Amino acid sequence: MSRSVRLLIVDDEQHVRTSLACWFREEGYEVEVAASGKEALAALARGGAQILLVDIKMPGMDGLELQRRARELAPDCTIIIMTAYASVETAVQALKEGAYDYIVKPFDPEQVSRLVAKAAERYTLLAENRALKERLAAAEPRLVTAGSPAMAAVLALVDQVAPTETSVLITGESGTGKELVARLIHSRSARRFGPFVAVNCGALAEGVLESELFGHEKGAFTGAVGRRHGKLELAHEGTLFLDEIGDVSPKLQVDLLRVLQERTITRVGGAATIPVEFRLVAATHRDLEAEVTAGRFRQDFFYRVNVFRIAIPPLRERPEDVPLLAAHFLERFATQMSRRIEGFEEEAMATLVAYPWPGNVRELQNVIERAVVLCREARIGVAHLPFTAAPPRDLSLEAVEEAHIRRVLAMSGFNVAQAARQLEVDRVTLYNKIKKYNIQRP
Amino acid sequence: MRVKLLLAGEAPPGLGASLLAALPAPFAGGAEELLAVDIRTCTDRRRRQVDAACLLAVVPEPPEGWAHLCIVGSDLCLPAVTHVFGLAELGSRRGVVSWARLREEDEPWTLGPVTRRRLLVEAVHELGHALGLPHCAVPDCAMHRSLWIESIDLKLPAYCPSCLAALATKAAASSARLTACEATHTMSGGGNAT
Repeated sequence: MSRSVRLLIVDDEQHVRTSLACWFREEGYEVEVAASGKEALAALARGGAQILLVDIKMPGMDGLELQRRARELAPDCTIIIMTAYASVETAVQALKEGAYDYIVKPFDPEQVSRLVAKAAERYTLLAENRALKERLAAAEPRLVTAGSPAMAAVLALVDQVAPTETSVLITGESGTGKELVARLIHSRSARRFGPFVAVNCGALAEGVLESELFGHEKGAFTGAVGRRHGKLELAHEGTLFLDEIGDVSPKLQVDLLRVLQERTITRVGGAATIPVEFRLVAATHRDLEAEVTAGRFRQDFFYRVNVFRIAIPPLRERPEDVPLLAAHFLERFATQMSRRIEGFEEEAMATLVAYPWPGNVRELQNVIERAVVLCREARIGVAHLPFTAAPPRDLSLEAVEEAHIRRVLAMSGFNVAQAARQLEVDRVTLYNKIKKYNIQRP
Repeated sequence: MRVKLLLAGEAPPGLGASLLAALPAPFAGGAEELLAVDIRTCTDRRRRQVDAACLLAVVPEPPEGWAHLCIVGSDLCLPAVTHVFGLAELGSRRGVVSWARLREEDEPWTLGPVTRRRLLVEAVHELGHALGLPHCAVPDCAMHRSLWIESIDLKLPAYCPSCLAALATKAAASSARLTACEATHTMSGGGNAT
């Protein structure tokens, strides 16, 4: 029963610390000893001990003083005070200053064993809690929104809906980050410790998708050599993300509707009903209302799926996000490829901001990755980009003016005075234009 | 591994021999003798107990392949702990065990079968520590922790498979060290001869 917790026994009496060390080693603890507060602090500075058993009366630095200084060195350590006198004042003082507990010498073996085991358990739980939080923070997808009002609104909706059990429909063009938003909803929900199971319904043929979702029994069809659990089962107590739900066939729509109503499934070729409990998050790039009108998408299934909708705007509608997204991807790829690239040439950034991004954030990510591969200079220039500045789609004077003002504001970090100088207009004119085109500060 | 039982102070007749005969694997054979130490030097007169750490310190270091276990009828304690049934330094091949707290009420000096079994279990327990085993989570393994005598009765005077495997690993490592040591001696001896 070896334990991963290390004890530090601090007592000025040699026979006390060696006998206790011997006794606790039998218990399976790693044990260090220190004859004084100074030695104990040196041992703590070397790192390692998580539980300190400290004698309160020691020449020089006493137990209370050691406790204060140990807290500065190792704030997470658990301190148990040992005293030869059942002095209430000393005990209360020690507890007030953050001691875990105190024991009176000589200890009853059962009492001290339980106390240290409890302290070790507390330390292990705290360490596990910290590790889990770190893992969770690392696992939470990073949505680089660059703070545009449109994406801030998306995030606000995510925060509102994530803690609930409501089904969510995420709409948006390809490459806008629908799966990232789905993962964010999962990671901020009570189901975050459960599985997140993603299925791309658009990528699979109907028969394959059915088997993928529902699983199959051995011999259900040619090639079904063994039982297979479907994604609906795997998502039990977690989140099921059905991407491109608009591409699901009418037959599978009926099957999925039944699952959502009855919360049970039957594997392909099987007879037993299996209970499933998951939260549905679906996504599509299609206009589902139009699909319903055209008869390609069942209305009852649509109402089941479309409970809470989050629409992700395409990147071209939020050019102010481009500089920060580009900087984020540049940092990521430069680190991956060990390149020292400081940023973008002004002209290159202007080109990126002006580009309409039909492939959205995914395309921007690919463009920056390519540029980092090609770039041998300190900054990414136009030559490293796969395109030159494209003309805007809407060629009306107002649309071109709005796009140009947005671009210059994005480049200046929404510094109106600087943008006005670059546009060669006065600030009042620029403020009027900002108001006219409803351009909001990120 | 062979065991030498060192009887400190007076002991019921035949106690050492019966303990040696009942020791489980991996202990084979053994011997008993009186420990030539006055346990009063380790006695805390105020507490009327013997300091187990002090007694352990006077147990002589065993030769390779042997373990020394001191058996005593006095109540054992540690300076900071009210009482212990026994004590051993992990991996030192030395331990101490007492039958003082293992006895039934009004039990005769000769010790009855229940107490003798408890003493056997605790002897196996301390020998396990002496060979480097920490406490074990298996409830009936001799290496399971016992804080009161009733819990000793739930254990067997033998090691569980995982403790036996750990002992075998430690024995193999010790044997390898011994062989390497002997080889070094042989080589240096050969060098001198030439």
